[in-house]
Amino acid sequence: MENEGRRKFLGVCVAGATAAAAVAAGYPVFRYLAPRSGQGGAAKLVIPVGELKEGDAKFFEFAGSSAVLIKTQSGELVALSAVCTHLGCIVQWVKEKQQFLCPCHGGQFSTDGTVLGGPPPRPLAKIPLTVTEGNITIG
Amino acid sequence: MIRKNTLAILLLASLAFLKPALAAPVEQPETVCIQCHGTLPDRLGAPVKLWRSSIHADNGISCNGCHGGDPKDAANAMTPQRGFLGAPKEKDIPGFCGRCHPGVYKDYLSSAHGRALGAGGPTCVTCHGNHQVVKASLALINEKSCTRCHSFDRARAIRDAMQQTEGYIDDISRRIADFQVSGVDTEKMGKSLFSVRNRFHTLFHDVDVARVKGESAAINKELGKLDAALKEIEQSHQKRRVAGGIAVGFMVLLALLFHLMKKSYD
Ligand code: FES
Repeated sequence: MENEGRRKFLGVCVAGATAAAAVAAGYPVFRYLAPRSGQGGAAKLVIPVGELKEGDAKFFEFAGSSAVLIKTQSGELVALSAVCTHLGCIVQWVKEKQQFLCPCHGGQFSTDGTVLGGPPPRPLAKIPLTVTEGNITIG
Repeated sequence: MIRKNTLAILLLASLAFLKPALAAPVEQPETVCIQCHGTLPDRLGAPVKLWRSSIHADNGISCNGCHGGDPKDAANAMTPQRGFLGAPKEKDIPGFCGRCHPGVYKDYLSSAHGRALGAGGPTCVTCHGNHQVVKASLALINEKSCTRCHSFDRARAIRDAMQQTEGYIDDISRRIADFQVSGVDTEKMGKSLFSVRNRFHTLFHDVDVARVKGESAAINKELGKLDAALKEIEQSHQKRRVAGGIAVGFMVLLALLFHLMKKSYD
């Protein structure tokens, strides 16, 4: 009888300890698999259309890294990541050539982000934008 | 059989997780230039030996990356028709390196060093060497090197102004490398650091203490962001370790409880 009571008590303890061990072991696994905070969608950014002339570029911060908005000479608006796809330097706008130049190893990109020369393996990432009532909304 | 397959799948999956830690450096391409010059003595073979331990070799930039020519055709490798440029004359050296390093080339040209080009001023190779170019660091600014041309005072002031930020960069670089080895995705942070380090090192070429001090503030801010991101990962790892410790503790407790349970049946 006494043993029965003891076993019942031990059984409850085992159940509790198992649950606690499972939670404690599950937490690191969950943290490992869950995406890190701050990596989700970025806040949208609004830039007035008038801020940019044809052939000009405007650099800004977007989703924690450098980005650039260009108005091509034909008036088209394009937003791109300004992070070079080679080793990560920030590209510069060469207005006379209407293209981007990476100062680190000379990577060149066109206004739509295509690689024109140098070591970059991929085009500059495009960022979606919409134009409404004189405002450019990026993201 | 099923067991064996499961084991194989688990093994492969674990290998896939190990991949980032085992990423190999870029393989050095064995061009015809290396094949031939690698066996030549003295002046003609020495550059190959020096190049092998350079940052260019580490990143797969071979002879033709700078000197042009055809690295696949031994007979015509060094003909102008195949774009062979040979070695540049002293005054052409900055332009030669600047084809791939346009940012620092621009800074150099506007500096006192660059303005003295062709009039006894230093070129890229005066400080960085030519074939054995290594990753730039503040160690390049030293009394022995600078006093070949002028006093060390100004260079020392610049180096001292850069020292603290350089230490910060090195610390972040080491932490990123540690995380990379343990399989954390560090690509974005690594690229950011590369960019900041470049921006910082290029400052020196301006030879302007005031500019170094001014820009260092902005660069430290960028480094602060990386530092914060790394701290977040460090904290998360710490929490995971503590939770793992607690789990082990509860498992020990479970073993004890089972032992007591078993005893109650004796
Ligand atoms: S980082 Fe842009 S070309 Fe190397």
